[in-house]
Amino acid sequence: MEIHRFEKIWTVASILLLIGFIASIVYGAVGPGVAMVDEEGGTVDVETVRQGNYDQLSNFGEPTPVAQQVSGDEYRANIVAQRFAFNPGTSQPLQVPADSTVTLYLTSPDVLHGFELVGTNVNTMVIPGQVTKVTVEFEDPGTYNIVCAEYCGSAHHLMEGTVEVLPQSEFEEVSS
Amino acid sequence: MSADTDDGIVREIGHDEFDPVGTASLIVVYFLILVVMWVFMYFVEFLGRGPTIIG
Repeated sequence: MEIHRFEKIWTVASILLLIGFIASIVYGAVGPGVAMVDEEGGTVDVETVRQGNYDQLSNFGEPTPVAQQVSGDEYRANIVAQRFAFNPGTSQPLQVPADSTVTLYLTSPDVLHGFELVGTNVNTMVIPGQVTKVTVEFEDPGTYNIVCAEYCGSAHHLMEGTVEVLPQSEFEEVSS
Repeated sequence: MSADTDDGIVREIGHDEFDPVGTASLIVVYFLILVVMWVFMYFVEFLGRGPTIIG
């Protein structure tokens, strides 16, 4: 079969393009370490979450507005997303320190919700009966808005909250 | 078309002599737009903005 040289060039270019797409995603995973959300968070009893008996759960804890230090610059925060608020987030902002790695544990006592930090790639589902575990790196101080990115009912569009990334010194004040 | 070309083939060219340069350059332009948009979307918008999920 005779193949025109323009077609040969095009075939090679489109293969290179595909390799480029795959290479940049591999770079994202290996370099900046972008990861997928998996089932590592485990499951929880929805009724227990609804009643707020967090001490009965091994993989979820009491939601607090200030992230809890695990070790060094590693922190954890428990967030309950329910119709139509994030706790913490909506009535009080979630406060985390700058230059930290925060593991967010999210669950829902009612329906499917979303947890999205607007304008970033922090965007995940919050599923009743499951704990969504995501580890996020916060660098510069600032404020991020949380929105619910899964339709959850009549006031879904009003379901939002705030994450405050505080400079270390300020964070120490609020956490003490 | 002028009268003297109405009745038949003007010039016969082989498979390799036909070079659709215009189409090729259009495709090159589309290709470059695609590459630039991918770089912008992935490296600037996706990786470049604030906190990132790492686990």
